[in-house]
Amino acid sequence: MSPGISEDNKRRVGRVSKNFFLHIHANKVHPHSLETSYTFGLGMILGFLFLVMILTGVVLMMNYTPSIERAYNSVKDIVFVVPGGRYIRNIHRWAAHGMVLLSFLHLIRVFFTGGYLAGRRLNWIIGVSILVVVLFMNFSGYLLPWDQLGYWAVTIGSNIAASFRELTDILGITQVLDIGGFIKKLLIGDETVGQAALSRFFMLHVIFLPVTLMVLSGVHLWRIRKDGGISRPQKQPVQAEGVAQAEVAVNQDINGADDRGREKFYSWPVVMWAELAILLLTVAALLVMAFLFDAPLREGANPDLAENPAKSPWYFLGIQELVSYSAFAGGVIIPILFLVFLISIPYLDREDQKLGVWFSGKTGRKLTWQSLGISFFVTVLFVFILVRFGWFRSWFPDIPQIIIMLVNPATLSALFYMLWAVWIKRKTGSGRMSAIALFTCVMTGFVIYTAIGIWFRGPNWEFYWSSSQWPVF
Amino acid sequence: MQVGPIRPVLQMNKESKNHSRRDFIRKFSIWAAVSAGVLASISLLRQFVPRLTQYQRRFKIGRVNNYPVNTFTYVPDRKLFVFRDHQGIRAVSAICTHLGCVIKKSDEGFQCPCHGSCYNDRGEVLSGAATKDLPWFELRKDVDGQIIVDQGRLVSPEEKLYL
Repeated sequence: MSPGISEDNKRRVGRVSKNFFLHIHANKVHPHSLETSYTFGLGMILGFLFLVMILTGVVLMMNYTPSIERAYNSVKDIVFVVPGGRYIRNIHRWAAHGMVLLSFLHLIRVFFTGGYLAGRRLNWIIGVSILVVVLFMNFSGYLLPWDQLGYWAVTIGSNIAASFRELTDILGITQVLDIGGFIKKLLIGDETVGQAALSRFFMLHVIFLPVTLMVLSGVHLWRIRKDGGISRPQKQPVQAEGVAQAEVAVNQDINGADDRGREKFYSWPVVMWAELAILLLTVAALLVMAFLFDAPLREGANPDLAENPAKSPWYFLGIQELVSYSAFAGGVIIPILFLVFLISIPYLDREDQKLGVWFSGKTGRKLTWQSLGISFFVTVLFVFILVRFGWFRSWFPDIPQIIIMLVNPATLSALFYMLWAVWIKRKTGSGRMSAIALFTCVMTGFVIYTAIGIWFRGPNWEFYWSSSQWPVF
Repeated sequence: MQVGPIRPVLQMNKESKNHSRRDFIRKFSIWAAVSAGVLASISLLRQFVPRLTQYQRRFKIGRVNNYPVNTFTYVPDRKLFVFRDHQGIRAVSAICTHLGCVIKKSDEGFQCPCHGSCYNDRGEVLSGAATKDLPWFELRKDVDGQIIVDQGRLVSPEEKLYL
């Protein structure tokens, strides 16, 4: 036993339960919850990254001025004048990118271990909302330096919001009911990106979204406790769903051994050691990344000259690739479909006995690889046709817009994913298998479109095999 | 009046068919709180809809002589291309109708650097994700000889301000 750790169990429990900052932990945790190959500590890392974001963000805020005259220069001051400012800004940026990346990885981990089953439905939905908030937080932070990168990313973003007009134009009601224009105005506070947009994004980035994220992650952690800890394989099939059942499960093995005869651990000190290790690794990784790679800062915003190519941050390049087919389809329909799908997963798949098993066993693992392969093939095929042969507009110049809006590589691949999932459902009769098929397809497609946006698109958003082939102007 | 042990409000409601005073106060206060909350949030949410704007619909772009003949000239800060020939002057928006980037002059007309939409010299979409043609704006001459652009009034690509 380590020094300072009491042999008295009652005292050890008290260490956690009587301390405000520690009482978020259970007194005892199941050994399965600490298995690295199950959770990879992703949720924990995200929590620590958020903490780092708040600390570095407060430091950055002290030297930043949210006005279009001063913003760019104040960020330059942070980078070149304030002692350690560049390092702090780099850490802030890498932690932000880490949060996006790890949020997606965490989503994938929870999905493939069935973490939304057996009464964990609400927490899955809260998790999806957290993902959305994290993305918006990154997006709003992007504008604050007021450089070319942020200015044009937000100009494009706000016009994606306005692309509802594509729909209202087809219906012929834009003059009466301009939903797109209203959302855009609500977002950037004016007709074009200017001081109003900067003020709004500053408010969102430093107050509204962080507080929302704090509340949501608080509820997220609390729900994990209420649902009986981090998900794990169940001993017996579940009869009923809901909180009541989960609580029964907690009570059953509150002191009992798990199926491999292992005792539950005391949170103090076992979980603390694990968390300390994760904290140290996270911070170490951030410090190294921030030391090696600088956060970019382009020229100051120039409303007269869009960069060529004007690329958004990497996690939005998949969407940017899609909006290059159709603004409304790629920027509104597909993302909304994606969110609706994520939220509806726990309703489509209710096979609670599959909780806590990676890919729900061998069949699921095989299906995941199959779906990955077929989605890769089909998605790349659609993009190949578009890049090599063009799309409807280049074949029939007079084609109405609604057809391009409804039929483009993005919607076609989405349709294919759904058909594949329906076919799997017919074939296996299992909601879980169908969900695995669809989720794998969607995630593969998302990665492919993102990769194309990052590496294969150059000036005028044309296809290039490598950026060394870009023409020189 | 019967004086008895205090009963829970809900239980009392079940028993008595007539609205008691306590029942009235309870309902009244709930509705008062709800309506006050709704009204307050409407007036607060209205604050989020912008009333002020720095966007100008109508502005001056200088004299005709500033614009060389037979070429498209970009007007800085106004996101406009002005085309002047020997008879007159016309102005077309330089904002891509797809997602709002500033387009550039190309050989066949205009091209957007962000997502590659192409337009011809009349501002009509040739290829890409843009759905609408570029709008042409009505021009007028002010008393001081400067050209006024009115972005609120759209005209056909041929319509010029004759000199």
